[in-house]
Amino acid sequence: MVLLDIKNLTLEIDISSEWVKALDKINMVIHEGQIHALVGESGSGKSLIVKAIVGALPKRWRITADRMTWKGQNLLTMSAKARRKLIRKDISVIFQNPIESLDPSLTLGKQLKEMLPRDQLTKTWFWQRNDEKQALAIKLLHKVGIKNHQLCLASYPHQIANDVVQKFMIAMALASEPKLIIADDPTRGMEVTSKTQILKLLSRVNQVRGMSVLFVSHDLLAISSMASYMTVLYCGQTVESGDLKQLRKRAFHPYTQALLDSAPSFRKDLPPKSPLSSLDGTIPTLHHLPIGCRLGPRCPRARRECVETPQIRRVHTHFYSCHFPLHWDAK
Amino acid sequence: MDLINVEALTFQNRTKSMWSKSKVTFDLGPVSFNVKSGETLAIVGNNSSGKSLLAKLLVGLETPKSGKIFMNGVELNKSNISVRCHDIRMIFQNSNDSLNPGLTLGSILEEPLRLNTKLNGQQRRSLIEQTLRQVGLMAEHQFFYRHMLSDGQRQRIALARALILNPKVIVADEPFAALDPSVRSQAVNLLMKLQRDLGLGFIFISHNLGIVRHISDKVIIMKDGKVVESGKTDAIFNWPKNEYTKKLVDSHQALINGQNNQR
Repeated sequence: MVLLDIKNLTLEIDISSEWVKALDKINMVIHEGQIHALVGESGSGKSLIVKAIVGALPKRWRITADRMTWKGQNLLTMSAKARRKLIRKDISVIFQNPIESLDPSLTLGKQLKEMLPRDQLTKTWFWQRNDEKQALAIKLLHKVGIKNHQLCLASYPHQIANDVVQKFMIAMALASEPKLIIADDPTRGMEVTSKTQILKLLSRVNQVRGMSVLFVSHDLLAISSMASYMTVLYCGQTVESGDLKQLRKRAFHPYTQALLDSAPSFRKDLPPKSPLSSLDGTIPTLHHLPIGCRLGPRCPRARRECVETPQIRRVHTHFYSCHFPLHWDAK
Repeated sequence: MDLINVEALTFQNRTKSMWSKSKVTFDLGPVSFNVKSGETLAIVGNNSSGKSLLAKLLVGLETPKSGKIFMNGVELNKSNISVRCHDIRMIFQNSNDSLNPGLTLGSILEEPLRLNTKLNGQQRRSLIEQTLRQVGLMAEHQFFYRHMLSDGQRQRIALARALILNPKVIVADEPFAALDPSVRSQAVNLLMKLQRDLGLGFIFISHNLGIVRHISDKVIIMKDGKVVESGKTDAIFNWPKNEYTKKLVDSHQALINGQNNQR
């Protein structure tokens, strides 16, 4: 079943009296029980998509979409109150940078108890409620693998280690038993062992409870270890999307290939100390976006036609937008 | 001949209090290693395992409790601090924050030259332009400020600041962590090229085991201030002996192969 269906999502931001398309015709479909990865470098608009889904963007920015539905209900036309209610129930977001996104002046226990939805509480009398909330909170913490629950609940966000706070954020996201968890760069700046713990936790949540996960990151290693479907973003355009295995085996877009090549761990035949292949230049800022295909100036295969925005083409379940895709010359 | 040789370096962090006895809060265990010219040493470990502290001890930002650092066979101590400033340069974690926002990049690069060399203004300027070109920037970038550059370019400026004195050893604290994948491979390529051309010894700290495996000759694994294991990169990654190292390498391998095991 399709949970979230986004077609041609466009977001315009005004920068010094000029409207710039920060997101340009994004397409994304998330199915039930799927781990969907959203890959892109910084400034490619990953976090903007997350915020657009949950409706946390400033009102003066223009959001337009052909279709943006959650289980068939249109998210853009419903009232703000109804949307908030729906998202509270069905979607949880684990925001980037966990320590900064928690309230520094409340203990973690208070913040977690605040997240518990009212329909999970069964006891009616006021003297029973606090005990029940405490028990539920401890149960949640055990689920995500925090053993020392007393210490965790009683301390403030700055007092605990980074990876424990990340697990705590996942516990908070699980509290309302959502259908979709959006994890915005949950493994940034972690070393390998705690990174694998977080990844295992997310994939277990996906398998045991059948929750969908939208995994937003630029860490291809983490993505390829758990996700099944991948969407690649560049500068606010969807560049390629498809089954992860297929993408890794045969990427059509030069940018996807460059991303895959930039991780030396993927290539076993690579001799040590040999130069890595990379694209020239850097990601353009919003002020200086190139016209047409935004990869144009950095692309090794760019030709004159690339000043026009390429149409989205399709091969089975594999979508890409490029005039001169890789692996097509042979055919 | 070893370029840099470290013997049993230790460091202790104590809390100072007036009445009670001072307590040891952090203990960096005896660390010994050597780096030849053109070699790369990687330091890997958990958070708060003393990696950054070790880097600071090497460049002389902190004073070690005991132990010696030899540079080309000469011991480094207070009497030859200028040699150390000249020959060992550091790239700090987060290149963005380590550049002064109020100075042009030219004056940021000029500072080490003014302090450590006897060049006059003309020579300094030509050396700055030459170094900027060496790291793949333009000579005009010396009039820019920090905020006008992208992440990758800032990293290049941090590298240029380390290279400008023509050092023998570069110590880098997580030089690639803040960079995006496509820009990161540019930075890695640049460093390897400069190392090949200039014969630098390169000591770096990283979480990214893929890159460590790719560019380093030797690895030191640290945990809670102690060296757990050290040796050739190949040996450590293929035949780890220590329990902790095994865990690190296994979880890295699991990430790479995860796709095949799961489905």
